[in-house]
Amino acid sequence: MRRLLLFLLLAAALATGCTPRSEGRIVYGLTLNPTGIDPHINASSELGIPLTSVYDTLVYQDPQTGGFVPGLAERWEVSADGQVYTFYLRRGVKFHDGTPFNAEAVRFNLERITNPDLASQKARFMLGPFERAEVVDEYTIRIVMSEPYAPLLDSLSQVYLAMASPAAIQKWGLEYQLHQTGTGPFIFAEFVPGDHLTLRPNPDYAWGPRVYQHKTAQLAEIEFRFFTDAATRAPALESGEADVMGEVPPLDAVRLQKNPNFRIQPVPIPGLSLVYFMNVTRPPLDDLRVRQALIYGTDRQVIVSTVFQGTSPVACGPLTAVTFGYDPAVCQFYPYDPSRAATLLEEAGWKDTDGDGIRDRNGQPLTLDLYLMGWGYLPDIVQLMASQWAQLGINVNMQKVTYPEALQIAKDGTHHLLPFSSSGTDPHILRTFFYSQARFNWSKVNDPELDGWLDEAARLFDRNQRAALYSRIQNRIMEQALVIPIRDYVNLNGVNNRVQGLRFDAQGWFPWLIDVTVQQ
Amino acid sequence: MRVYFADAKRYLERQGQEQPTLMRTMRILEIPQLQARPLPRPLLRQPVAVLAILWLTGVIVGAAVIPYLAPEGPQAMDLSRAMLPPGRGGLLGTDFMGRDIFVRLLWGGRLTLWMGIRALALAVGLGLPLGLAAGSLGGRVDAIVMRLIDAWLAFPSLLLALTVLAILGRGLSSVAIAVGLAAAAPYARIVRATAREIRAQPYIEAAIAVGASPLRIALRHILPNAAPALATFAAIQLGWVLLHGAGLNYMGLGAPPGTPEWGAMLAEGRDYLRAAPWVAAVPGLALTFTVLAANILGDRLGRE
Amino acid sequence: MLAGEPMLGYVGRRLLEAALVLWLAITLAFVAMQLTPGDPAETLLAASGASPEEIDRLRADMGLDDPVPVQYIRYLTGLFRGDLGISWLQRRPVLSMILEQLPATAELAVAGIWMGTLLGIFLGLLAAIYRGTWVDSLATTLSVLGLSTPVFWSGILMILLFSVHLRWFPSSGRGDLRHLVLPALTLGFSLSGSIARLVRTQVVEVFRMPYILAAQARGIPLWRVLLMHVLRPAAGPIVALIALQFGFLLGGAVVTESVFARQGLGRLAVQAILWRDLPLIRGIVITGAIIYLLVSLLADFLHAWLDPRLRERPAGQ
Repeated sequence: MRRLLLFLLLAAALATGCTPRSEGRIVYGLTLNPTGIDPHINASSELGIPLTSVYDTLVYQDPQTGGFVPGLAERWEVSADGQVYTFYLRRGVKFHDGTPFNAEAVRFNLERITNPDLASQKARFMLGPFERAEVVDEYTIRIVMSEPYAPLLDSLSQVYLAMASPAAIQKWGLEYQLHQTGTGPFIFAEFVPGDHLTLRPNPDYAWGPRVYQHKTAQLAEIEFRFFTDAATRAPALESGEADVMGEVPPLDAVRLQKNPNFRIQPVPIPGLSLVYFMNVTRPPLDDLRVRQALIYGTDRQVIVSTVFQGTSPVACGPLTAVTFGYDPAVCQFYPYDPSRAATLLEEAGWKDTDGDGIRDRNGQPLTLDLYLMGWGYLPDIVQLMASQWAQLGINVNMQKVTYPEALQIAKDGTHHLLPFSSSGTDPHILRTFFYSQARFNWSKVNDPELDGWLDEAARLFDRNQRAALYSRIQNRIMEQALVIPIRDYVNLNGVNNRVQGLRFDAQGWFPWLIDVTVQQ
Repeated sequence: MRVYFADAKRYLERQGQEQPTLMRTMRILEIPQLQARPLPRPLLRQPVAVLAILWLTGVIVGAAVIPYLAPEGPQAMDLSRAMLPPGRGGLLGTDFMGRDIFVRLLWGGRLTLWMGIRALALAVGLGLPLGLAAGSLGGRVDAIVMRLIDAWLAFPSLLLALTVLAILGRGLSSVAIAVGLAAAAPYARIVRATAREIRAQPYIEAAIAVGASPLRIALRHILPNAAPALATFAAIQLGWVLLHGAGLNYMGLGAPPGTPEWGAMLAEGRDYLRAAPWVAAVPGLALTFTVLAANILGDRLGRE
Repeated sequence: MLAGEPMLGYVGRRLLEAALVLWLAITLAFVAMQLTPGDPAETLLAASGASPEEIDRLRADMGLDDPVPVQYIRYLTGLFRGDLGISWLQRRPVLSMILEQLPATAELAVAGIWMGTLLGIFLGLLAAIYRGTWVDSLATTLSVLGLSTPVFWSGILMILLFSVHLRWFPSSGRGDLRHLVLPALTLGFSLSGSIARLVRTQVVEVFRMPYILAAQARGIPLWRVLLMHVLRPAAGPIVALIALQFGFLLGGAVVTESVFARQGLGRLAVQAILWRDLPLIRGIVITGAIIYLLVSLLADFLHAWLDPRLRERPAGQ
């Protein structure tokens, strides 16, 4: 009798264990303290790490195939001229505040993003030549572009163009950032800027894309904290205070890898590799030979093995190797060749005539103004670069600046060299950096042919044709030596082994938290 | 407390007394306290002071001769010798780019001391006259100067430093000015508090009563009496300015990367703390010893 | 407090002084921003890739096209409308942004000061009493260690020791008291240095005063002498120093905040300055100034209470 009771109890326990429920709590370490985290307004990659699970997007990109799968849109059509996209929306979807999701909500979101008063830093530009959104019926929305725009699906798959509750946006106004309301698997429970951001599962979630493995969130709570000081990230993992940590310093990553309690999940990030833009309008970098000499004279292999312990690949061109349309041919351009670099400098008239170890021409020493920001191990990288260039007789004036200062410098064009790196799955990202009128045209390039190609590539829908055109663009950028590519960005995620199922989306930055589980 | 009695005894012995009694101490109360100082031992006969002098001399001499010892400068790299511990990697080991830490330390001594001295000179140069004027003159001058100092202090020092760096550009000179400006206000306030303290003494009242001019009171009576506390505080300030300079470097606002200023070396070495602890420990200890030496000397000199 | 001055007049005078200091401090902030090169509208919108027309429109909205005196008047009078305005960068009310950060900052500042004062007075007294012995050397060295060790260095060492190896205290974020231990200890250690040094100097000075001799001669026990006759009169500069430290902590704990992954006004201030977010800077300067004024008022009272000589003979007379 007693045994039977025990058996029944056990069975009951097992039965409850089988019903889907959320349990466990993890702390997820973020590495920046963004100035704002409204995905429609702000541009930080960091904001997408929690918010990808708060919001849903109309479509999702499958990281395996690179193709797009249904999200909040069940299916879609693109007109023959590539200017009109029609999305048929999923029914029965509700925002966390109970507002129903429909075509009107999509229109509201798109109009919010494109309203200049919002001063959107990223989302607005991802919409490209957006003209208007038309509500066809309750569950059908038509997006009209003023010209064909191939990257639209890619843009719509990203959290920056996620669907937020119109009611919540109207209710909270300026404070919406603290009360974000989406349709995603997790609810935005609490956000204290600079301190923590807490997500709790959305029990009603039943409309996840097929790239998610679970129907609902498996964790009961996720707390995000901001570990801006890189040296404290590994200690936070090791003391058990954080379960997942982004951007673990390479040396710590190598060490953690040997610890049976932790693993390192490196995620290569598609997009613009870490590059130094060379200002082609400012002498002596207006001379192609000098620019080429700088790339030949940079031993990137040494930089990657010294600073990154070999955890990320050497970059060959403006795009990282995992980006759609990346052309490996650019790797043939500039192998490390200091003697070639010296010859090029001589040809350009830069010789050391006064014997001080620094090349000069017409009495002017070869001195370059190089700026750097504090992120991405740039302080270490530039020291190696400067020492390599010193052997070639090039003097470098290094100055560390903040991001706002860098923007000002880029605008005034007072730099020779300025670094950047950015993420994005579509090679259309190159237009942001190399189009003559682009806001991040830090090379100050003005090449009408390149502009034409960049425009045309955005209008092409055939993947092969696009890839071919982007290959031409990458080759042009390297022929013209507009950038010194340094490394492909790889996010080294440190993970406590009790955390299972951590996967990242096609962007590489954003985890699919719905599938994460913990072993107690 | 035994120490205290020793003091009292020494003092009374010089007064020709044997043991303190109530009557005698009551008489002593009327004697200006300046005379009550025990005679300090000569500086060179105090082992700690000698050590401090030796350390500072070593840093200064090292800074002076390093251009001849290591003419290739603090940036000479040898990547095949990266992160070698002290011994195999030279006297104090090498950093992650195979640079000799001992060489960098000596080169950095130049930058660090020069930065600290400039900042301190600025702080004392501004703070001392202001604080002294406010504390010894009192009245309206005190009120005006104090409001100014209060506003200065109430203004976040970080904002001040960032603004200075934005206007003057980055570099150790700007850091010295930024830190020195921030340190001037607290220095002025300490000077003023000390001066006020001394001004409340009866003998100052007496000096005022016999008609001594305010300037004379400030310079002849208050300043000498305030000197020990002020010297100590100036020595403390040296630590403070080096510390805050290092803080600006940590936030990435100070010197260009690779500058061997000690605070910057320490901030940089932090990233290699687990793999190569000496990279951070060496400049950290050098910083501590230097501040310690300056404190000891400031303290001992203040007593004379 | 001036002898014989009525309480009301005293309070009025202090309030007037406070208003003056506030005005000076926010004027200083305005001047500083005017001197900083670059255009705030452009800085703010550069990241968003706005067109030149949009930047012009924003500049006009922000009132940056007006002559400087007009901007200054608006900057000042904005305050009388009773709100701190909207942050240019985040477009959120400055007041709520500050209120979000204030508790964390206050908590850290109070805990850090408390730890620093305790440690400082202990080390300073020890050094003064055993002046010239090995105890003095040890206490002095410890306090100088606090003075010369940057927080970003002592902080990471504390994390490795207490958090990673011993697992006693968490190293990040806010929460219960345990979260406060390491940051407060780190901050307190760095503050204790200057307090200890000052305590030592002051106490040694007071030890030399004849009235200590008199007290001793009357047979008053050591602890009473220390407490009533040594620490009390020595307290003036010490209290002043602690008040000063408090002022610095409001903006200056930014390094501690970043090492221990804490929120705080310091980090908000850095953001505000980097992005030249004038309304936010103004809000932070005002908050800092008000807290600083309150603390220094408290310090003045404490000083007068601790040192009876000042009550009888105010320096102002």
